Amino acid sequence: MIGLALRRSALIPLVLLVASAVVFCLSRLLGGNVTRSVIRSRSLASAPDPAAEARLAAELGLDRPLRDQYLAWLAGAVRGDLGRSFTTRAAVGPEVLGAAGVSATLAILGLAVALAVAVPAGVLAADRPGGAGDRAVDRLGAVVLAVPEFVVGPVLVLVVAVWAGWLPALGWGTPAQAVLPVVTLAFFPAALAARLVRAETRVALAHPSTTTAVAKGLTRRRVLAVHVLPRSLTAVLAEAGPFLAGTLGGAVVVEVVFDVPGLGRLLADAIGSRDLPTIQAGLVVVLAVALVLTLATELLGRALDPRLR
Amino acid sequence: MAALVVVAVIDWPVEATDFANRLDPPSGTHLLGTDQLGRDVLARVLGGVRWTVGLGAAAVLVSVVIGTAVGLATGWLDGTRARIVGTLVQSVVDLVVALPALLVGLLVAAVLGPGLAPAMIALVVMGWAPFARLAHRLTVTARTEEWVVAARSLGAGPVWILRVHVLPAITGPLREAFTARFVGAMLTLAGLSFLGLGVQPPTPEWGAMLAEGRTYAFVAPWLVAAPAAAVVLVSALAGRSRIR
Amino acid sequence: MRLLAPLVVVLALLVSACGGGAPSSGGGIAVALQFPPRAGYAFDADDGALLTKLGVAEPLVALDRQGDPVPGLATSWTQEGSSWRFVLREGVTFHDGAPVDANAVVTALTYVLGRPAPPRAIKGIGLQVAAEGPMTVRATTTAPDPVLPLRLSSGTTSILSPAAYATGQQPSPIGTATGPLRMTEIRGTEGATLERNDGYWGPKAASARVDVRYVTDPQTRELALRSGDVGFAEGLPETSKAGLQADPSVTFTEFPSARTILLQLNQSAPPFADVRVRKAVTTALDRNVLANQVLGGSALPASDLFGPAVPYGATQAPPAADVPGAQALLAQAGFGPANPLRVRLWTFPNRPELPVLAQAIASQLQAAGVDTEITVGQYDAQEPEVLAGRYDMFLNSRSYLSDYPDAASTLSSDYTCGGSYAIDRYCSPAFDALVAQLGIVTDPAARAQLYRQAAGMLTTDAVGVPIVHPRNTAAEKGVTGFVPDPLDLRPVLPVLAPAG
Repeated sequence: MIGLALRRSALIPLVLLVASAVVFCLSRLLGGNVTRSVIRSRSLASAPDPAAEARLAAELGLDRPLRDQYLAWLAGAVRGDLGRSFTTRAAVGPEVLGAAGVSATLAILGLAVALAVAVPAGVLAADRPGGAGDRAVDRLGAVVLAVPEFVVGPVLVLVVAVWAGWLPALGWGTPAQAVLPVVTLAFFPAALAARLVRAETRVALAHPSTTTAVAKGLTRRRVLAVHVLPRSLTAVLAEAGPFLAGTLGGAVVVEVVFDVPGLGRLLADAIGSRDLPTIQAGLVVVLAVALVLTLATELLGRALDPRLR
Repeated sequence: MAALVVVAVIDWPVEATDFANRLDPPSGTHLLGTDQLGRDVLARVLGGVRWTVGLGAAAVLVSVVIGTAVGLATGWLDGTRARIVGTLVQSVVDLVVALPALLVGLLVAAVLGPGLAPAMIALVVMGWAPFARLAHRLTVTARTEEWVVAARSLGAGPVWILRVHVLPAITGPLREAFTARFVGAMLTLAGLSFLGLGVQPPTPEWGAMLAEGRTYAFVAPWLVAAPAAAVVLVSALAGRSRIR
Repeated sequence: MRLLAPLVVVLALLVSACGGGAPSSGGGIAVALQFPPRAGYAFDADDGALLTKLGVAEPLVALDRQGDPVPGLATSWTQEGSSWRFVLREGVTFHDGAPVDANAVVTALTYVLGRPAPPRAIKGIGLQVAAEGPMTVRATTTAPDPVLPLRLSSGTTSILSPAAYATGQQPSPIGTATGPLRMTEIRGTEGATLERNDGYWGPKAASARVDVRYVTDPQTRELALRSGDVGFAEGLPETSKAGLQADPSVTFTEFPSARTILLQLNQSAPPFADVRVRKAVTTALDRNVLANQVLGGSALPASDLFGPAVPYGATQAPPAADVPGAQALLAQAGFGPANPLRVRLWTFPNRPELPVLAQAIASQLQAAGVDTEITVGQYDAQEPEVLAGRYDMFLNSRSYLSDYPDAASTLSSDYTCGGSYAIDRYCSPAFDALVAQLGIVTDPAARAQLYRQAAGMLTTDAVGVPIVHPRNTAAEKGVTGFVPDPLDLRPVLPVLAPAG
């Protein structure tokens, strides 16, 4: 177990190194005229001007051999300097970390809301098979699983912010502004987790240890809380890692619809303006977090579930 | 499923414009109303089956072929060098599986520009990995089964064994994985198009229609409702067929 | 239902715990603007113009409502051959307290002229600036420049305090500008906070505090205004017009913009090398239908390159479509039912009206027997192709003023032989001679006459088809004082005031 953890965590920097080189080279080789794109992203209606493009290329270091550019980037990255944005000229590192913080907040809140709804719902549903709660988890869950964020988001804005006027429609910073994006993000994991918890709870309820506990005279509530819940949570945790990792860079739709300054939107904007340093840094951060979380989830899963050991 | 195929094959009048009757609410002549160019929304939603559902399925199909081939190869290979290759491939797989789907779409769009082809490439880049992982695991299991070992000792070539013994054994789980991944692929494609990075208007792809319709949500809610309902309906149906 | 109930509870708890997100009052307003800063408020980007629009930074020369130069940080200017002498306003200080003098102006303009890609308004004319006295600046160009004061009205030539340029980094506008509003906080591309500059030399800002939010999505801007998140929003979606006009709490304004959506035709290759084919396309299109029906009145039909935003723009409606006429022209050029004209039409989705218009144009051309294949792609990928003349038709959106109220540079880059943005590949010695005159003539009335002639020449030669001039919109809710600016070059925020 510890050996596995060491082996896998040793692999992560290697994977990051390879991935960063691939992203670096591909984005510079295949993207057409980068300096023209950078100038246009700064000044939209500017006509092409080869002299200005050459001067800018020199300033951005794009006229040097690709290998030198990458090595310079790598040397900086090792020292924690991820370079300066082509468009804003601001240091990329703090910008990416700030955006990642926003996305992480969004993801964790989304997951918390989802679990707060899903775990009780799943346990109750499993407790009374065929009851109203069970049917709700079944039917509602199936529908919610089928509804993508780009449908939920606009609908919530329309109903909650516009027609009812309860919450601000967009932005980020106040708790009220966080509600709609968090709820939108929570829909899918809530439905998924409710189903998982229900399935696992059913298995756990049928397990001999549960039967024994009931026979020993424990209350049903206590049996559920002490014996059944931990088992069903294992399955949910296995899904939580990938969800958090996915949300960190992949909540583009939610971040765009609700105007949240997260990592997904930062990357989408950077891709639009061909701001290579921001793309590079953002992707490396997303990758690193994804790899670490995947590993952590797997290890946690093994630690919690004896069957996987 | 069969109904969807039929709908996808028919050429619906998705581009017939009628500027005098734009943004008409649902009526007898236009069951789901008309859009900003006076096009029939029902025709466009039905015409969108070919794009949203068809392209989603096509992307998963290509992913299955590539992923299975890779998984079969890495699962079958033996020996130290093969194991190193296998480990490398598996770490790439781990990497790809860990990436958010939309982010890969963004990345590919960054390199190749927004459009149908980059979006499809992104789906395949994303899609092959889980199948490779599955095929790899199943092949490793199958390789050690008695009847496969027996066939090998009788001098059967690896390709023959893979085709005759291993492949049939793993088609069942693969088919199940296909339905499971199809919804994800379809929604990713629609999501990319919604962000303007996938299928471009005037093609009646549902995500693109939804993005276009959002501008008219107040005066013509059916422009949002119709493609949204179509996405939800197909993905719910596919989800049900997966569970049952 | 069990799933929904806890959700509602969580929602309700969060709502009651946090309260609404409405901005606090007390003489402050919140506004939703369309375009965020592109490069951290860099002057060698469109952000310079944004800083002027916000009322934060000021150039030497201000503009009146007609787009004529009026005193700004400079009170007077005189031309002496190939140089202009600017006399600076006495007693003006930057937000950090430093005085505005000749050295500060020279520092600021020298910085921006030294960037790799200097602003369009002042590049390519060999501009150099030097202090002539403590409050006098001399600006010299290679050749005499008739419109230098107008060029120096561009927000991209705004003046910041010397302290801003001393850092070695990109100069920051926080506390370093001169305008009626002082920038106190930058929230990236999300927004900024502005406060009234009580020491301003001119009319003071009408609000004590402005919370600026950049919202790129038009639908979201509308929602923010309707829900009361902001009191002012610009660039509202076409479909919101009726609803906002009917809302008694909202003041809705619609005004022209100095922009033209053009159907550009490649003259360097068949079929559009033939003027009859270009005229046939022009004749086949009904621009009134395109503007009034397809775009729902969010644009004015264009009969000319220049529209009603400028005094020399055409205001009469373009002719209606003449399908038989178009077919006759096509027949003369050798196209007909037996040999139909097939063309490719390219456009890009960054401006959402373009794909819609492309569809409508294709369907109007179809009626005249022209088959059109539409490709909606990425502008960055299309640009090298169209500039090299490897295309048929390109639907483009183009502002005909470039950061200052004068169209000469657009005419020169877009329509002269060898122009740097000559997508139509038009080349006419007579037209080039006309544009050359714009480099000499100073009198505004005479320049206007030249612009009319140039636009007329483009129409006669059927150089592309000006399709529509998009209109700008703005709406106020709980805010008053908005003054529309068709040129989109003057300060907007300082005059906005909280209502009541």
